Amino acid sequence: MKRILVLILALALSISAFTGCGKKTEELNLYTWAEYVPADVIADFEKDTGIRVNYTNFETNEEMLAKLSAADGGDYDLILASDYIIKIAADEGLLSELDTSKIPNWENIDPIYQGFFYDPEDKYTVPYAPGIPLIVYNPDKVSIEIDGYEDLWDPSLVDQVGLMDTERVVTGITLKTLGASFNTEDLDLIRQAGEKLLELAPNIRMLHQDQTQNALIQGEINVAFLFTSQVALALQANPNFKVVYPKEGLGFGVDALFVPKNAPNKDNAHTFLNYILDGEVGARIATQTYYLCPNKVSYEYLPEEFHNSLMITTEDIPEGEFIQNISSEAEAVHNEIYTAFKAALD
Amino acid sequence: MKPRRQNRIWLTIVPLYLFTIIFVAGPLIYMFVLSFLTRDEVWGVVNTFTLDNYAKILKPVYAQTFLESLKLAFATTLLTLAVGYPFGYFMARLSAKWKKLMMLLVVVPFWTSALMRMYGWIIIFQSNGLLDKLLMGLGITEDPLKLLYSYPAVLVGMVYSLLPFMILAVYSSVEKMDWSYIEAARDLGASRVQAFLTVTLKLTLPGILSGVILVFIPSMGLFFIADILGGGKIMLVGNLIRDQLMTTRDWPFAAALSVVLTVLTSLLIRLYRKITHTTELEGIL
Amino acid sequence: MKKKSFKISNIFLAVLLIIMYIPIVVVVIYSFNASKQTIIWGGFTTSWYGEMLRDRSLLEALRNSLILGLISSAAAGIIGTLAAVGMARVDFRTKGLLEYVSMLPIMIPEIILGMVFLVFFSLLGLPFGMTTLILAHTAFCIPYVYTMVKGRLVGLDRSLAEAAKDLGASEFRVFFDITLPLISPAIVSGMLLAFAMSLDDVVISIFVTGARTNTLPIKIYTQLKTGVSPKINALCTLMLIVTFLLVFLSHKIGKKGTSK
Repeated sequence: MKRILVLILALALSISAFTGCGKKTEELNLYTWAEYVPADVIADFEKDTGIRVNYTNFETNEEMLAKLSAADGGDYDLILASDYIIKIAADEGLLSELDTSKIPNWENIDPIYQGFFYDPEDKYTVPYAPGIPLIVYNPDKVSIEIDGYEDLWDPSLVDQVGLMDTERVVTGITLKTLGASFNTEDLDLIRQAGEKLLELAPNIRMLHQDQTQNALIQGEINVAFLFTSQVALALQANPNFKVVYPKEGLGFGVDALFVPKNAPNKDNAHTFLNYILDGEVGARIATQTYYLCPNKVSYEYLPEEFHNSLMITTEDIPEGEFIQNISSEAEAVHNEIYTAFKAALD
Repeated sequence: MKPRRQNRIWLTIVPLYLFTIIFVAGPLIYMFVLSFLTRDEVWGVVNTFTLDNYAKILKPVYAQTFLESLKLAFATTLLTLAVGYPFGYFMARLSAKWKKLMMLLVVVPFWTSALMRMYGWIIIFQSNGLLDKLLMGLGITEDPLKLLYSYPAVLVGMVYSLLPFMILAVYSSVEKMDWSYIEAARDLGASRVQAFLTVTLKLTLPGILSGVILVFIPSMGLFFIADILGGGKIMLVGNLIRDQLMTTRDWPFAAALSVVLTVLTSLLIRLYRKITHTTELEGIL
Repeated sequence: MKKKSFKISNIFLAVLLIIMYIPIVVVVIYSFNASKQTIIWGGFTTSWYGEMLRDRSLLEALRNSLILGLISSAAAGIIGTLAAVGMARVDFRTKGLLEYVSMLPIMIPEIILGMVFLVFFSLLGLPFGMTTLILAHTAFCIPYVYTMVKGRLVGLDRSLAEAAKDLGASEFRVFFDITLPLISPAIVSGMLLAFAMSLDDVVISIFVTGARTNTLPIKIYTQLKTGVSPKINALCTLMLIVTFLLVFLSHKIGKKGTSK
């Protein structure tokens, strides 16, 4: 058995020789979810610029922020994360102002995706993946016509619905059915939503953070509330699926890039931002991530069928409401009703 | 002469002593302190003393999660014992050559990612998945079963991941067992079953108990199994702690939950020591 | 009668073993699936293996994981063994407490351990990366080695060591010539287990890793966001083959050693 260890050591050494940690080169430490920035885009960037990209991953936004504040805004050069967490990071003073003179392609950003709450003056962020979550269902298996969140409560949908396992989204759409905002601070209203949410429990087949569209495609569920990229993937797999713009009101979210305060390689971060804001590169990203394309020059590079499959036009954007940070009391009630909801499942 | 020798032996403990104080006790004291602090409005913690975090655990919603978690942990432990005990027992009775091989075969799955093994179960359990296809192909069922995202699926996943701990714990205590006691019992006229119940079971009790603890403790916290196989519908203390850290950003509450969980598991181990009069766990631990 | 029951027990062992390996076999089979969907069999392909080998970050993650596992299980091996040997011989007031606290890393939910490590390391001003990973992993590897060695020492015949000492052997010689060979199976199995645990850890690693060090489990876990690529199936298959090869080789070498 001792020999196993020796053999593993030999193996590790041979692999390290194989991958080779070479001489000191220009680096870029990119921190985001796995596979969110297409591998071929990174590879081409490395080839074009000679900058080596260290692509490391977090699983949740909160993990990223915990890490970033522990490193006092250092360690990472470029971070791609969600709107609300960028707002927190900004309030914590962990962002570094962008030097747009180093980003000639800055002009390519579609202004409709700028000026949001997390960066009202467009000083810190570059939008990467905007999206509107939508309901998608399989009309062959569902007997009712779905046109809003309210229909998810329909008794005919017992054990057929899949939602994203994101507290504020699930409690949020319940608030919407009550005619309230995602971000209401009215604790009684949130509790009322909690009561209503419990009635949804019998219909829930699964709550997943990711991969919900696969469950829909594979017939595990017949109705799903999906992120934009998942909507596109579901439609790609089965064009018969129906997409619903919930009548109670749309949600909206943006994942954006920012440079942390003490980033070790700020110049390289700017070079990268400029690279992905190129029209052609932007189109390549959008066709692989299946999110909306925040680059107006990219539109001409986007294949026709891609536009059709998404079905979201920029006119819908102003209608969408962000899920924003709320007071800790309201947050605590959200958690309580969501925990109660989860306990009512199974 | 003697004191000097004692001194030298002391040196062997120094690395563990230092490491434990700096890198284990340090972080844990921080956790303990954190459980009495207050969360900041949006991000982080404020240094205001409070007992609210502990009071919050008693709220029905959260207390119920603890209870559910305990229930699942009990079910997992019982099932694991029911399967793992005979396995470990039979394994210990094999010839030396086979024993060694079986040992490796039991441990090797550990070396592949636990996540990928769960992924394997998903492929099998999903609707229209391998099991469904097999059952429908054999004409046993007509429609796809909804096996995934259910309590049984989580239970299978738990038992599957923790079984090796139980097997190795039972195995090592059966291996050490003095068979002459059983022979003696048999000579005195006990049937095989009687001998097993009165002698074997008693002699392997330490192994059983250490297996129980090794299975019970982690089954309270294995949140990713509940997430992946349970479709996010099964809420364990582990999930609750994860959510407090990662979505609600209430770190002090997460710390309080962890402190309670740690105390609970420590009590269990204490109980184990009381019952068995031993200080170390058998098998892997 | 005896023979028959022996057979039934063998069937039980075999069936259970097969069940244990079913999900692993499924993962292996689907590494050859041309379709990314697990519900469809898109035909046989080996292309995922090629893609995997071209994926630099995946290979780097594998290397990091192996190095991390080796160093932390080795460190745990040394610290844990020394302490187990020493603790068996000396008594001191805080012994029970020390033992209890050093065991805590495997009793506390990983996620909170990861979190407190994160905060604590940043308090100490340690740079996040391999160093912090090794420290955290060593912390949860020590209990495995320590308890294994301790268990072995309890069952050990002390008379041999006593006899050697009576014959005038130094403490040092007794340890290396007598105790160490006797406890080495326990050390090795403890370290192997620690290595396996380190190789599989996601939750703690994800908190204490730095900007340049991905580990393999982090890579796999975070991939769930976009879907598990069959590349990972391919990598797991290769790792499995390597594991079996190692086991087989060590078996072979072991046999040669004993026959000589």
